[in-house]
Amino acid sequence: MHKLIIKDLSKTYDNGVKALEKISIEIENGLFGLLGPNGAGKSSLMRTLATLQEADSGSAKLNDIDIFQQPHELRKVLGYLPQEFGVYPRISAEQLLTHLAILKGIAKASERKEVVKYLLNKVNLYDQRKKNVKGFSGGMKQRIGIAQTLLGNPKLIIVDEPTAGLDPGERNRFYNLLADVGEEVIVILSTHIVDDIRELCTKMAIMNEGCIVYHGSPDEAMSTLQGKVYQKIVSRENLDTYAEQYQIISNKMVGGKPLIHVYSDTNPQNDFEQVKPNLEDVFFSKINTSHQLV
Amino acid sequence: MIYIFLGLLALLTFGATASDNIQIGGSVGNVLRNAPHVITVYTTVMTIFGLLMAAAFYNNAALRDFNNEFNEILFSTPLKKSSYFFGRFFGALLLSTLPLIGVFLGTVIGSLVAPLFGWIDADRFGNFYIETFTNNYFLFILPNMFIAGSIIFALANIWKSTVISFVGALAIIIGYIISGNLISDIDNETLGALSDTFGIRAYSIYSKYYTPIEKNTLNPSFSGLLLLNRLIWISVGGMILLASYLNFSFQEKNKRVKKQEKSIKKSSEKFILPALEIGFDRSSVWLQFKSFFMMNFLSIVKNVTFKILFLFSAILLITGLIGGFEYYGLQSYPLTYKLIDDIDGNATLFVIIILVFFSGELIWRDRNSKIHEVIDATPHISLISLAAKTLSLISLTILLQLFFILCGVLYQLVNGYFRIELEVYFLDFFYANFLTYAIWSGVMITIQVLVNNKYIGYFVSIAVIFIWSIVLEIFDISSYMLTIASGPSTLYSDMNAFGPGLYGAMMFNLYWILFSILCLLIAGALWNRGIRNSLKTRTIIARKQVPRNYRPLIFGTGFVWILVTIFVYYNTQILNPYKTNDEYEQMAADYEKQYKKYQNVPLPKIIDAKYSIDLFPYKRNVDLKAIFKIVNETQIQIDSVHFNVDKDWSPAFDIPNAKVVFEDKKMGYLILGFDKPMLPGDTIEMTITSQYITKGFKNGRGSTGIINNGTFLNNFELLPSLGYDERKELSEKNTRKKYDLKPKIRMPKLEINCEGNCLRNYLTMGTSDYINFETTISTSSDQIAIAPGSLTKYWEEKGRNYYQYKVDHPSQHFMSFISAKYEVAKRKWEGIDIEIYYDAKHHVNIEMMLDAVERSLAYYTENFGPYMHKHCRIIEFPRYATFAQAFPGTMPYSEALGFVVNLEDETENNVIDAVIAHEMAHQWWAHQIVGAHMQGATMLSESFSEYSALMTMKSISKSPMKMREFLKYDHNRYLRGRGGEIEAEQPLYKVENQSYIHYGKGAIILYALQDYIGEKKVNRAMREFLEEYKYRPPPYPTSLDFMKYLEEEVPDSLHYLITDWFNEITLYDNRMKSAVYAPLENGKFEVTLEIESHKIRADSLGNETKIDIYDWIDIGVFTDEDEEQLLYQKRILIDKEKMSFSFEVDSLPMRAAIDPRMLLIDRIYEDNIKDIKMVEL
Repeated sequence: MHKLIIKDLSKTYDNGVKALEKISIEIENGLFGLLGPNGAGKSSLMRTLATLQEADSGSAKLNDIDIFQQPHELRKVLGYLPQEFGVYPRISAEQLLTHLAILKGIAKASERKEVVKYLLNKVNLYDQRKKNVKGFSGGMKQRIGIAQTLLGNPKLIIVDEPTAGLDPGERNRFYNLLADVGEEVIVILSTHIVDDIRELCTKMAIMNEGCIVYHGSPDEAMSTLQGKVYQKIVSRENLDTYAEQYQIISNKMVGGKPLIHVYSDTNPQNDFEQVKPNLEDVFFSKINTSHQLV
Repeated sequence: MIYIFLGLLALLTFGATASDNIQIGGSVGNVLRNAPHVITVYTTVMTIFGLLMAAAFYNNAALRDFNNEFNEILFSTPLKKSSYFFGRFFGALLLSTLPLIGVFLGTVIGSLVAPLFGWIDADRFGNFYIETFTNNYFLFILPNMFIAGSIIFALANIWKSTVISFVGALAIIIGYIISGNLISDIDNETLGALSDTFGIRAYSIYSKYYTPIEKNTLNPSFSGLLLLNRLIWISVGGMILLASYLNFSFQEKNKRVKKQEKSIKKSSEKFILPALEIGFDRSSVWLQFKSFFMMNFLSIVKNVTFKILFLFSAILLITGLIGGFEYYGLQSYPLTYKLIDDIDGNATLFVIIILVFFSGELIWRDRNSKIHEVIDATPHISLISLAAKTLSLISLTILLQLFFILCGVLYQLVNGYFRIELEVYFLDFFYANFLTYAIWSGVMITIQVLVNNKYIGYFVSIAVIFIWSIVLEIFDISSYMLTIASGPSTLYSDMNAFGPGLYGAMMFNLYWILFSILCLLIAGALWNRGIRNSLKTRTIIARKQVPRNYRPLIFGTGFVWILVTIFVYYNTQILNPYKTNDEYEQMAADYEKQYKKYQNVPLPKIIDAKYSIDLFPYKRNVDLKAIFKIVNETQIQIDSVHFNVDKDWSPAFDIPNAKVVFEDKKMGYLILGFDKPMLPGDTIEMTITSQYITKGFKNGRGSTGIINNGTFLNNFELLPSLGYDERKELSEKNTRKKYDLKPKIRMPKLEINCEGNCLRNYLTMGTSDYINFETTISTSSDQIAIAPGSLTKYWEEKGRNYYQYKVDHPSQHFMSFISAKYEVAKRKWEGIDIEIYYDAKHHVNIEMMLDAVERSLAYYTENFGPYMHKHCRIIEFPRYATFAQAFPGTMPYSEALGFVVNLEDETENNVIDAVIAHEMAHQWWAHQIVGAHMQGATMLSESFSEYSALMTMKSISKSPMKMREFLKYDHNRYLRGRGGEIEAEQPLYKVENQSYIHYGKGAIILYALQDYIGEKKVNRAMREFLEEYKYRPPPYPTSLDFMKYLEEEVPDSLHYLITDWFNEITLYDNRMKSAVYAPLENGKFEVTLEIESHKIRADSLGNETKIDIYDWIDIGVFTDEDEEQLLYQKRILIDKEKMSFSFEVDSLPMRAAIDPRMLLIDRIYEDNIKDIKMVEL
């Protein structure tokens, strides 16, 4: 069982933006979902864990590797897929993965060949392995990125919004792949797609403005809202009035009319209907603390 | 950005105008620092830099909307295509010319500020002319930016790539260089001028014969070749612009849609995840390094920019090679060293550009491809990745060089030359280039890492390459230890291989390689992984992250580097100190100030000399003993002797009853005082022993006189010189002014029946006259040693060769001492031994050289008098210098001259004959008579020898036109030379050792004179003059003495020639205005020519005044376009500026010429000749 312990991690950028503020979590084997709106600090946290960025204070340890003191040791057991992943022009998927396999310490040529083949097949690129990667579509590139993350038996896998640009089929393939390896190692997955977390993760955290605003399992999160979420289809003109009167969690359009979810300890009456809270409600209730309309 | 460029150019020109240490534009001597010519040169040179700036502006103008992805919005507005396209173009044009205004600003400010602060005297600046600025703007700046802009704008619109735009800019510069290769011969300089995109060479041809006055007053004008060039290229630019306008469209071009190949075969392979063995040990580090290397190397090789640059350098090299190795109309054999020179000359700059560009590309490659976070998070050491990048850059240079070598070898084979020295190619690459490239690769990678911004990195790299050397110059630092990747020259010579600088070059290379490795190690620690951090943050991170064994690596390398630094410093600064330019000037000035007072101290004369010299060529040491008999020939008693001691030698003096009374070690001035003064007529024997010991290596190549194979020294170099040495003084008047010295009188005034100055000749300067001397010289067992005189004895002793030489006839005390491994070719001619000592590799031309010696002996003995030695030697020496020189009976001749020129197709006379004939002529002119030390002296030796050489060539010349081929070079030499005169041009009879006068003009005038008054008469004057003064003790003859003999031979009708040609500076401006012919009934042709002729007198600065013409000038008619068949020639009297002549000829005329054989000095000769047109009668 691997264990990642993050303590009091803080980072402020030169322009004054607080990217991380006293982050402390413990993560064990399995898929760990990191949920948060854009700019919440997810990527900063992941880059910091991937040794690509220094923190101002705090510590992070994977088992007995201190990430900040022994970055080189951590890199030996790391699989990392950044938010933005590109490829070199004029080389093939196979060449690129082979190069990365070497960098990740797979010294035997035969093993390298096998593992590259295996992963290419896993991400459904085996038939295009000899092709120039530059001509690949965004989704295909992303799949190479996914394949390289799994190279070389990593103990800590960090994937930053990995499913962006994938079609639903590929997305499922990828999640199956992650679920396969997730039993043995720590997988940290960031996304802003709430469904992904619900489907995959046993543990999750929600980040907002550099802080962890929730940490636990998705089910727990939903159960805390049990019986406290109500919804109603309203007319567009009255939206503002509702916003003033109720603690709005979210509003979205359904069939051309706004559907609002509100948080309330008691039944707000007025034609509101109680719903079973979903993860989205959790997410919005955690980050939309001032109950704004969007 | 525009103001930065403006400021930069202003600063550069300001520096050039206001500082003596920066020299561009040729502002020396009488040419003012802000002369229109100088400003024009600045402008033309700076337009090349301006081009790179223009590339940025035009590229931006064309691509801005695309790059900001604004195009789709903009182009859907109701905007007209023409206003968009031309608006952008002309906007960029205007912008791109603005920085070049900085050139004008720089000169104007420089001219105002420099005199104010006393940097440069006010009299070095003249008036500004408004035309200088307007004409330069409209002739060079605007057209050049327009032409370049049209090309770059078109490229940018088609490819929409910044890189391609800059490559386009580079292509224009290459085009300029290639057109420069065409100009190497004066025959096709017009083509070269017209094909030059920038008009720079058109201007330089336009202004090539400018005198100082013209440089100071004439502005480039809208006329002639220059205008034609501008018109041609503006039209080219206009056409390109139009074409690109027509091609331009608001609609997006159909993007190429790649068809996705449907993969039919579905693989049925089994995939299993193998159990992986993951290890990080040495072998995996090596594996990582290899993989990084391959990824980087392949990425460059596949890169389009690389391919284009590669192609450019290949084109440059090949066009350079196609031009061959021209030497006065002949071709040199394609020796390996010639090809190496060509490769280095054409490729080095390119390779450096490639290194600059790809150092940035490689460093920023991961980031540009957005894969850096993945790569950075893998477990590799940064140094491995950087080292791989560096190695791939270095491998690139190897790849390039291999290709260049292949080109060179193919070129040799195609030309039927089979002595291909592959080892020389490769060793030269290793010594001269490879290490340099390796050093630069490391340094540039480091710069990119430290600067942490690709484009600023480029800028810093370029600044380090180009501007750093200027900075060093300004601060008067000349140590190679501060000039990155520099070191002594290892120029290859067939005789002496890589020469004396090799050891030093290797030590400097070691020093720089270690420096470069150290840089890389530091860069490896500070390499930015992950997000971009400031240098400070990276230093903090480095302290934490750098592996433990890294520190000893840095400190270890640093330690070794410091050891090497100490060693190099010890060798180049302590063991072999040297003087920088400023120190050298200062010392020359101090020497003059302190010791000028001794200039007229009476000195004894050497009347007999015995040398005993032991050469140790492989140790590069010399042991020397000279026994001189000296006599007091003056009327007063002499109480001391003065010597100048060269630092490299350590002489000891043994003079009876004399001891050192004064010694200035710093300047090497030594006075020995006699206990008992030498009375008039007293003779004593003095012995000087001296040594030259080569110690370690120098901050330079070291002596090229004392070397492994091809040692060549003369007696002035070997021995301390006697008395105050005027030749050590500073000569350039502006430099002298800086040290508060009055302008130097270059030569004493010509005077008749003179006292002091006629008692010494310009060669030995009064230290001796014609004397007997003998030499015992020894060298290593595999070499032959030669000194002037007949060989009287030869023996071997202790594994060394000993030779004894003695002159047959008292001669000038001017001796050469030579030793090398030689083959010897011998021939006897009327009792004289003709010998050629040559390197075994250079045997092809030996027979022809023997012929040439024989031919000149025949002509000179018949026309001037007997040859006074029993032997006549030509001796090859390495190509560190390219001259030939005449010592008594002994003529060292550079390896680079006649030995390697291809004479296979030469049936008639050629320049090799000319050089041999010239040196042979010195055995009469310089050795039998020599001029007194005053104006006109070198006419008697150099002009006479040059004339004699021309006459030997004429003696075997079959056609009268052949000689024009040679005279053409003399005309060019003279006319160009007077443009570069820094003091005052003298008439021929007062020449002050000015080579363009005594060689170029002297040859033309004496040759023309024999054509006008007859060969016999000129030769008789020379012979009778010789007979009178031959080997005569002082007083020595002057040019006035010769003129007396000459005037006797010139008929009264031609007496004006003496005045015009010898006593004044006279130029002709002859033109063929019209030339027509009409066929006659009798089958003949009547030719009518209209001629315009002006005679011009010039003063010493080049101010011209027209004078009345009353001259005999030839007119002639050719039957062919090549002007080889002179059908008709007549010398006619021209007494009016415009005249017309008619005459009949037998065959169909083709061209008509005034002065068809180029006997008169005419700045524009081309307009002397015209095609003859037919008219009906």
